[in-house]
Amino acid sequence: MILEAPELNALLIRVAGSRDRAAFATLFSHFAPRVKAYLLRLGASPALAEDLAQEALLSLWRKAHLFDPAKASAATWLFTIARNLRIDAIRREKRPELDSEDFLPANQPDADDRIVLADDEVRLRAALRALPPDQVQVIELSFFADKPHSQIAGELGIPLGTVKSRLRLAMARLKRVLGEAE
Amino acid sequence: MIAHHPEDALLLAYAGGTTDEAMSLILATHMAYCESCRARTGRLEAIGGSLLQDIAPAPMSEGALNATLGKLDAARPFERRPWPVSRDGTPDVLRRYIGGDLSQACWRRVSVGLSYVPLLRRGPVAVRLLRGMPGAQTGAHRHQGSEYTLVLKGGFTDVTGSYGPGDLQVMEGDMHHNPIADPGEDCVNLAVTAGRLKFDHLIRKIAAPLFGF
Repeated sequence: MILEAPELNALLIRVAGSRDRAAFATLFSHFAPRVKAYLLRLGASPALAEDLAQEALLSLWRKAHLFDPAKASAATWLFTIARNLRIDAIRREKRPELDSEDFLPANQPDADDRIVLADDEVRLRAALRALPPDQVQVIELSFFADKPHSQIAGELGIPLGTVKSRLRLAMARLKRVLGEAE
Repeated sequence: MIAHHPEDALLLAYAGGTTDEAMSLILATHMAYCESCRARTGRLEAIGGSLLQDIAPAPMSEGALNATLGKLDAARPFERRPWPVSRDGTPDVLRRYIGGDLSQACWRRVSVGLSYVPLLRRGPVAVRLLRGMPGAQTGAHRHQGSEYTLVLKGGFTDVTGSYGPGDLQVMEGDMHHNPIADPGEDCVNLAVTAGRLKFDHLIRKIAAPLFGF
């Protein structure tokens, strides 16, 4: 049985609140093999993927107090950690990223720009599975191929404009599922 | 009000971790101004989270869990290094590359009313700050690659429209334009260029390589 977003969030909050090692072990058993699979998809060697997966989970332990379930689900939060570790370790580049306090008081967010919360994650996954295969493909390649969209287009043998229009269609559907105006 | 935002494909590449350091920097800086794109990125990262949940797991080696559990006691909680508050509102993500506030940057003069600061170069990709006095022109030019311009202060206008603080202009492929800084305060931009610019006029053609453009 797969652990779903609410349980995973609760476990992560227990790690943050009381340094709960049992909760950590459960999160490790769930997430480490997924992070490893993600890194393998991106071309990491099995040894490196294993190391980085352990490092990602160790980061989860060290950063658990920064996790905010009002901003992202545990899976999304860990995804960003794994993504940045990979950029650092494999591409040997920095990943310029905003800290939460690095916001200028400018625009108010639009009502439809709310962030995906844990409860939405289950619906989002169902919506992703329901997308036409050609749209799923370009979305997956955006996450699992370390290549610009122009190169992805070349390898699929389709124009860049087609890649972008498939992404647009996919995004429009996902937004509808999440109850947002287009 | 920010009117010019990155398209979904670009933010998706950022969320997926495929944009290079230069693009990531200009997009993150745009998001320091744009709450709406921050929320969009949050949604796109949630797609990453969903894919992670649904991926077929690759078994970890035996003993991986115990090895990691053994490291927990020695692992110190992560702390963000404190960074002094910016005096002129320069976003931290950009200050790390400038080494301080916009007002502390070391400007190099290109011509009367036009100066720049090189921030990063990776092969053909360059990131610079550009500052133009009101009315200043970079000179009409054509692109061999792409050019991304984020307005930090002031504004500029060209054939494609007008751009103010937080606006991101994307020029891709073989496009031609002649941006002019708007009246009022100096226009300060963060610019990412891939490939050299081809200036229309001879004097700029000669000067461009000298200044690394």
